[in-house]
Parts: sequence; structure tokens; C-alpha cells
Amino acid sequence: MPHAGYRRPGHFVGDLGLVTEVLSPGKAVVRMQVSPEVTAGDGGVRAGVLATMVDVVGGMAALRMVGSDWLATADLTLQVVQPLTGPVVEARGTVVRKGHTTLVLEAAVYDAAPGVPATGADRAPTPGAWATMTFAILPGRRRRSTVDVPNGLPDRWRVDGRGFDRPIIDALSITVTDAAGGVVSMPVDEYLHNSVGAVQGGAMAVLGEAAGAAALGAAGGGPEPVVRDLCLTYLALGRVGPMVSRASVLQPPDGSSGGRALVELFDNGAEDRLTTLIQVGAERAGV
Amino acid sequence: MTTEPGGGAGGDGRPATGPIDRRHHVAEYFRLQRWEIPPAGGAEGYSDVGGRIPLEDHLRSAAGGVRTGVLITGLDSLGGLLSGLTVLPRWIVTTSMRVTLADPVHRGPLRLHGRVLRRGRNAVVSGLDVVDEGSGDRPVAAAIMTCSVLDPGDRDLHFERPYSTPMPPARPEPPAPEDFFCIEPGSGPVTTLRLADHLRNPWGILHGGAIATLAEVAAVRAVEARSSAGPRVGADAVLHYLHPNRVGPVVARCEVLGGSPRRALVRVAVHDLGQGDRMTGLGSVTVLAV
Repeated sequence: MPHAGYRRPGHFVGDLGLVTEVLSPGKAVVRMQVSPEVTAGDGGVRAGVLATMVDVVGGMAALRMVGSDWLATADLTLQVVQPLTGPVVEARGTVVRKGHTTLVLEAAVYDAAPGVPATGADRAPTPGAWATMTFAILPGRRRRSTVDVPNGLPDRWRVDGRGFDRPIIDALSITVTDAAGGVVSMPVDEYLHNSVGAVQGGAMAVLGEAAGAAALGAAGGGPEPVVRDLCLTYLALGRVGPMVSRASVLQPPDGSSGGRALVELFDNGAEDRLTTLIQVGAERAGV
Repeated sequence: MTTEPGGGAGGDGRPATGPIDRRHHVAEYFRLQRWEIPPAGGAEGYSDVGGRIPLEDHLRSAAGGVRTGVLITGLDSLGGLLSGLTVLPRWIVTTSMRVTLADPVHRGPLRLHGRVLRRGRNAVVSGLDVVDEGSGDRPVAAAIMTCSVLDPGDRDLHFERPYSTPMPPARPEPPAPEDFFCIEPGSGPVTTLRLADHLRNPWGILHGGAIATLAEVAAVRAVEARSSAGPRVGADAVLHYLHPNRVGPVVARCEVLGGSPRRALVRVAVHDLGQGDRMTGLGSVTVLAV
């Protein structure tokens, strides 16, 4: 879940350079310039990065519907149907149900040309990815944010950052320890923190994507496949780190499919607490 | 009073009343056997649950494996039991199901297992997996199910623990899932289900498995309407149960979002026409060419 705190310098969401706009309560759009540092082997934006965008656009769409309450992402599913190559990608999020304790949203992600987000006239006619997510509504009195959120969040703002001078996997210091086991680690520091001092859900998605691709690549004996589907379930906050993954292959890659894997993310510094479950689907690049 | 999606206690804030309806039409159709697995050694914690479905021919897809709608129905029934036992004396209603399938060819029977991943004040998250006993316990699917906790009113929720139900007997001529779930024949992007009484769950609303089967059938029809190249089967599915289906007919409106000749992603929106066309469910089904 995003908030205005990401406008502070030195945050990975900021380095993505997201431009956000609230169209109305329950609707928002987020745009990002595509750079090689955030793309996968098929030339499209990494699924983990798209999941981060979707999380942000969902939060922007939902924030104005919950008054002084707060939101936490409970689950997020992203499915890529074709590589999103840009030059700009645009995510549009809509609240489809608001209950007392949860919000459900959907989002579509399009290739687009540089331009004004709200018009939509310059984007591709069909989405390259589709997503749904559930946010838990947390009563405002229980909020534990470490960052002040402006009362009047502007309708349109840019999350400024320095951009990436290396692949995002390296920028997040993600390292593969055991590809076959999907054991991948990511240190935790303020660069990844969300408003409550825990690892931002998008960073978890990038880590899960890397772990799933590593495990499936090892199982298939060839190059790492391209992750197209991420189904994230957030069970607990990752606070201490490093975050360490473990993966099991549900279906190994074959001639056309990149396979299916299940990834668990543990907070190694918090007694290996299970924080996130991720169902990963992949395709061979070019298939 | 929790007023969460999917139904229970109405999903509209009305308390449930009267004894719980012990009908097991849907579970009996799939011959789902269920058993509770208490924590080992009497330790504190939540029970797991196990289940088994004999994979009969009428439950198989064109690929030879279990149909996605069938599988989700079994997962919904088993995961619902797991989550419900976890929150007694309260009860639950399913709010989302996300299923990832492995290879779509299975021998059967299928064995299911469920465990609680997180139990919060308002929700239970459970992890479910399915293996093919006839193929050396090869993985079939993995699923995450989220349930919302609700007040059951004065419903009788007494269970003999550890809870178990035997496998229902086989029917001599079981109907196809389309017939059992009252899914009307058709083609194209819109598919209709008639809300018959045997499809209602104990809360009087349309069973989640019926919605899953409707979504699967509708998604396959939508893809087949765009291409005549060979049979198709449903695979991965994501379903958010937004509101209860009470009146019907219930329609699934599909949009094929794209993909490859082998794999297509279909957005499925479920509406209850009898409730002013209210959108009651939203999700996606991945459709594979066989």
C-alpha cells in the first residue's frame, strides 16, 4: 500500500518514478517510464514491478474511500497476457467492492505513450496485464505509521526518485543462494520500508518473482523462464530481514510452459516467520 | 455483526436464524470425503483437514484431468470446513479463492489437504493442496482460500470432533457438472445459471462451487467462440466472491484479455440478474488448448 511517504528520497518505489493520479474516489491511474533495469528476459516489465504498480494504484484508488482508516494489502494477483514494453506503462485501478473490513479492487495495465495520464487516449486498446487485490481496512486509531500522511493528499503527484543505474534485482540486493530450492535472499532496510516500517509489498513481489524463476529455471534445466503470474498472499509483516525464500515446483517447465511454483517468504531475523505465500506461473520467453 | 461478501448471515447484515441446513447436495455430487486432522500429540493449535474425491469420468475435462470447477468446489467445501472449525462458535463465508493448477491430466482419486495459514479477527486464510493418488501423489494444484468470519446467529453448529464425513456412494448415472449446476446450454461470452434450490448452501445462497463451475464453463465458451481450434479446458482461476447470489438467474460475462494460442486469460464477472444485475463475483480463468 502506498502513501505520500514514498515521496521521500531513497526508496525503491520512488526510484520506479511513478506518476499517480486519483480520478475519483475509487478510481486512480499510475504511470511509469519503462527502462531496461525493470524488464525481464522477454523485454517486458517484470511481473514484480507490475505488481508494485498495481499495489500503488490500488492504494490510491482506495485511500479516499476509507476516511481516517488505513489500508493493508491482504492479497494481490497479477496475470500478464503479453509483455508490456512501454515506452510507458499505465495501471488503472478501480474499487469493485467496499465492505466494513475489506476492499476489493481490480486493475488493468496497458502499454502507453508519454502523455497526460487521465486521458487514456494514448494507451493500447487492450491490457497487457490484469490484477485483483484485497485491502484490509485498519481502524485509524490502530495506525502505526512512522510517516505523516498529508490530510489533503493531492489528486496528482509524482513519486520522485533517482531511478535505477542497475537491474532492479541488483538494486534490491537480491541474491540467489540455491536456485533449485528457490532460496533467494533480500536484505531489509529503509529503502524497502513502507509506512509502518515493514517491507513494502512490491519488494516482496520482486523477491518472489526472482525465487520462482530461479526454482523453475533449475527444474527445467534451461534458462530462467519469464514469470507471468504472481498470486501474493500477505500473512505477516516482514520487518527485520533478511527476507529469505523457499520454493517448491508444482509443475516443471516443459516445451511451451515455463512451469508453476510455490514460493514462501520468511523473515530470517524474526525467527523465520512466514510472511508471504506466492503462487508463481511462468512462460518460456518468446512462447 | 459481520457483513462480508459471499453470503452468510446474508452478507446483508441480516442474522441467520433456525437450525443449520444439513443438506450436502454439492459435496455428495462430487463424493467428497472429509476428515479433521487434530494437532499431533494433543498440542495447541488449529486442526488440518483432509479430503478425497474419486475422479469419475463425468468430472473430467477434455484433457482427461479434473475440471477446474469441480476442483474448486472440493477445495471450497474442504477449506470452508477447515476455516469454520477454526473459528467456532462463529462461522465463515468464502471471500476469495486462488487456484494454481499443474499438469491438467490426472488418474485419480485426488487427495486434498488444508491447513490454516492465518487466523485473524475478521478473516481466516488457509492453504490447500491437491495430489493425484493414482500418479504417486503427483501435485495437481495449490490454492489459497480466504474466508470472512461471521456471526452464525442461532444456527446449530455442533460438530462431533474430530469431524469426519464418509465418501458418499456413487450414483448410477451422474449428471455432467453443467446439468447438476443448472448451467444453460450456449456459446459466446455470456453464460447463464439457473439458481435451483439444491445449489444453495446452508445459508440459502448460491454455493461457491457453483459459481466456480459457472466461471469455468463461461470462460471456456468465451475462448471457443473466438477460435474453433480444438477443445479447451479451464486451468488456473482467481475468484473474489463480492456479494451473495440470492435470486438468479446468475450470469457470467466474460472478456478474453489475450494470451497465446495455447493459453488465454479470461476476465469473468458474475451478476445476479434477480438482484438488479448486481455484480456478485469477479475473477479470472486461464483457458488452455488441449
